[in-house]
Amino acid sequence: MAKLKLAIYWAAGCGGCDVAILDTNEGLLKIAEIADIVLWPVATDHKYEEIEKMADGAIDICLINGGVRNSENEHMTKLLRAKSKIVVAMGACAHQGGIPGLANLFTKETVLNRAYRETPSTENPDGILPVQRFSAQEGELIIPEFYNTVLPTAAVVDVDYFMPGCPPAIHQVAAVVDIIAKGDLPPKGAVIGASDKTLCDECTRPKEDRKVKKFYRPHEIIFDNQKCFLDQGIICLGPATRGGCGNRCTVKSNMPCRGCYGPAPKVHDQGTKFLSALASVIDSNDPAEINSIVSQIADPVGTFYRFGLAASYLRRKRSNEKN
Amino acid sequence: MKKISIDPITRLEGHGKIEIFLNDAGDVENVYFQVPELRGFEKFCEGRPVEEIPRIVTRVCGV
Amino acid sequence: MSFEPKIVGFLCNWCSYAGADLAGTARIKYLPNVRPVRVMCSGRVEPSFVMKCFAAGADGVLITGCHPGDCHYHEGNYKTIRRYSLLKRVLEQFGVEDDRVRLEWVSASEGDRYAKVVDEFVKKVKALGPFNGTKLLVK
Repeated sequence: MAKLKLAIYWAAGCGGCDVAILDTNEGLLKIAEIADIVLWPVATDHKYEEIEKMADGAIDICLINGGVRNSENEHMTKLLRAKSKIVVAMGACAHQGGIPGLANLFTKETVLNRAYRETPSTENPDGILPVQRFSAQEGELIIPEFYNTVLPTAAVVDVDYFMPGCPPAIHQVAAVVDIIAKGDLPPKGAVIGASDKTLCDECTRPKEDRKVKKFYRPHEIIFDNQKCFLDQGIICLGPATRGGCGNRCTVKSNMPCRGCYGPAPKVHDQGTKFLSALASVIDSNDPAEINSIVSQIADPVGTFYRFGLAASYLRRKRSNEKN
Repeated sequence: MKKISIDPITRLEGHGKIEIFLNDAGDVENVYFQVPELRGFEKFCEGRPVEEIPRIVTRVCGV
Repeated sequence: MSFEPKIVGFLCNWCSYAGADLAGTARIKYLPNVRPVRVMCSGRVEPSFVMKCFAAGADGVLITGCHPGDCHYHEGNYKTIRRYSLLKRVLEQFGVEDDRVRLEWVSASEGDRYAKVVDEFVKKVKALGPFNGTKLLVK
């Protein structure tokens, strides 16, 4: 079999997905065996130019991690789509917008102001903000346009497969490499490197009948580290999150789930699905008491949509001045 | 004036670009290092509960 | 042309839909902006339905069900209260105004009440102006 051409790219991500690939250790040898890498900024020195010169469809598989935050992310995502036979949206950012998607609760202007003018460690007496085009005396310099809304990869291009996780679990990366090596890919649009159950289904913490009168923040409770978090009133996104991560937070690290594997199968909007699940465990029928229980949740959108805001139905906070 | 672009800078975390301007003698006249990336952690951490911050800012850099 | 809001109304099969029917058979006049969707119970209205309505261009969402204690399924509407309470907090963070989503109890005998609820709600949404949910993604 001829060797595959493989591109791995990061858009608005953090590089954690690239490191997840590196963390397969000797699994890298297998990747080298089946594929030639044509782009992988974290590890190889290929330039954008080389990709632009390729024929359409010249790349066999492209793993894109990171969502679309600026015009460069959009350009590269579209370019790699055109040059690749198969595009995999890898990691929570490409799949759901991820953590950077939380910026959709703010506008472009407030984000730029905070980062370049208001932060205590910033010295910017003239209040200069980045400009897209700058005429230096030697010539023009261009940086990408910063968008108002972060989008997941699939909102910009046609995506063949989704591979969730922040970052994808190492054993799942290895499993996906196996699938690619065997040419055994599922139907288009499938979520690969994950299970078809919810995280709750796979969690080994014993669950009892959930009845919650109070939601606790970590400093408000000494919790039983064997029992289900939700049973104890600690918010855990397990019921609304796809499994397959190996329960690395809930079981292995004694931390409640924050939903990085995205919505459970057949669910579009992870946050409202979790909202439903959480509302069902509230042990009260009295509207006033329900309101007071609900008010104990510190940051509903930032928690329920921790990784999925940019892929939700509303995608961003509505602002009257500028959408 | 000649321009050499190194785009992207590789084998580090994040997005970077270097533009090198050469004068007529072929010597380097000026170099600009550009970081075309911003995600806005400075802003979107606002409003999140303090105990959640360690699980958010770990995504600043995963390398 | 004045703004005519598009409102999706989820009406429970056992009480509110019958209430709306009664409003019709009694020939009570009320504003025509609510597009009714019959659901078996107000508890069937998943919060994601509300989000999807807004994303698809609705300006408001009205959820109606049986009065507490009267649910055909005993406690479906209590589940609605819990979800609604939490949904309101989520919508607030999304910048969706409080008056765009409303939960009301309408029994099968309250045709006049249904008409009143709709009239009040339409007026409030009208005052807020269009939601422009479909335009949320402009760069």
